[in-house]
Amino acid sequence: MRDWDALVREQLGGLSLEAEERCEVIAELAAHLEESFEELRRQGLAEEAAVSRTLLQVKDWQDLRRKIQTARKKENIMSNRVRQVWLPGFATLFLSTILLALTEIYGPKPWIMSWGHPPVALIYIPWLFCLPFVGAVGAYLSYRAGGSGRAIFLSTIFSALPFLASIVVVLPVSLIFDHFIAHNIAPMALVMALLGWVLIPVAALLAGGLPAQLLLMRGLGSRRVVGR
Amino acid sequence: MIAPGIKRGTAELAVLSVLEDGPLHGYEMARRIERQTQGSLRFTLASLYPLLYRLEKRGWVRGAWETSRTGRRRRCYRLTPQGKKELSPIRKEWAELFRALKRLTKVSHA
Repeated sequence: MRDWDALVREQLGGLSLEAEERCEVIAELAAHLEESFEELRRQGLAEEAAVSRTLLQVKDWQDLRRKIQTARKKENIMSNRVRQVWLPGFATLFLSTILLALTEIYGPKPWIMSWGHPPVALIYIPWLFCLPFVGAVGAYLSYRAGGSGRAIFLSTIFSALPFLASIVVVLPVSLIFDHFIAHNIAPMALVMALLGWVLIPVAALLAGGLPAQLLLMRGLGSRRVVGR
Repeated sequence: MIAPGIKRGTAELAVLSVLEDGPLHGYEMARRIERQTQGSLRFTLASLYPLLYRLEKRGWVRGAWETSRTGRRRRCYRLTPQGKKELSPIRKEWAELFRALKRLTKVSHA
């Protein structure tokens, strides 16, 4: 039995891709050659003849290596990231911000979650109820742009990330340099802010984004290939 | 058999069209294109995969590993919503080109 995987690995030596990606390419091409070979054998060709005919599929392995590298590495890596993460992310951030502003202006007063004195968290309930929809929109936009599972997940929770950044980075830095922020602010206030502006919103975003992601991805995984 | 120069332009249309009927792995895709074009369009491994990877980078197709009933793992490709959207104008362009060529050849025969 010929080891097609080893053959492709040897021929495409120096394929400059990430290790995991390189293994995937090699496995995929090897599977293609194996199927071609088996088909030729089924047609009655002797093993050596079938191998020769199969190998005719690639006249120049170095040329193929270059083409694969160009196709997988150089084409629009940045624009893909932009389309699959940044654009859906900023779209959901915009949507979420508009919804929050509308809730603040027209909605009921926020629910004040208090945990000792002074830490409190303001919870905008109507806004939270909108966030699953925002998460689902982020997941859909990323999926539509061909985003991976990770890109879809990032797009889903993207609108909560600026809050996380401001709480984790901006607030502590401001405490040091900005005299307008009360210096008696307790560490518990940071926890409450994280809870009210990051953890609960992320949970709400995921409540819409994860089912959407599962539904969208199921379309890919549900099909079992008919074997020969 | 169509010359490679002409085939090059049609390759994207062929792959996207055949994926419109449902997900396929590379070998199956090549076989189906060959069968449906009665051998006029043939994709070898060297011509098919760089194209598939380009289409995947553009987000027009998406590949995912699946396991067949026989336990063999293959990477199946399916059209993304973006790919479906792109297919329609490509089809129109080619249809327009064919109509133009048809008109041209009729005129030259007249």
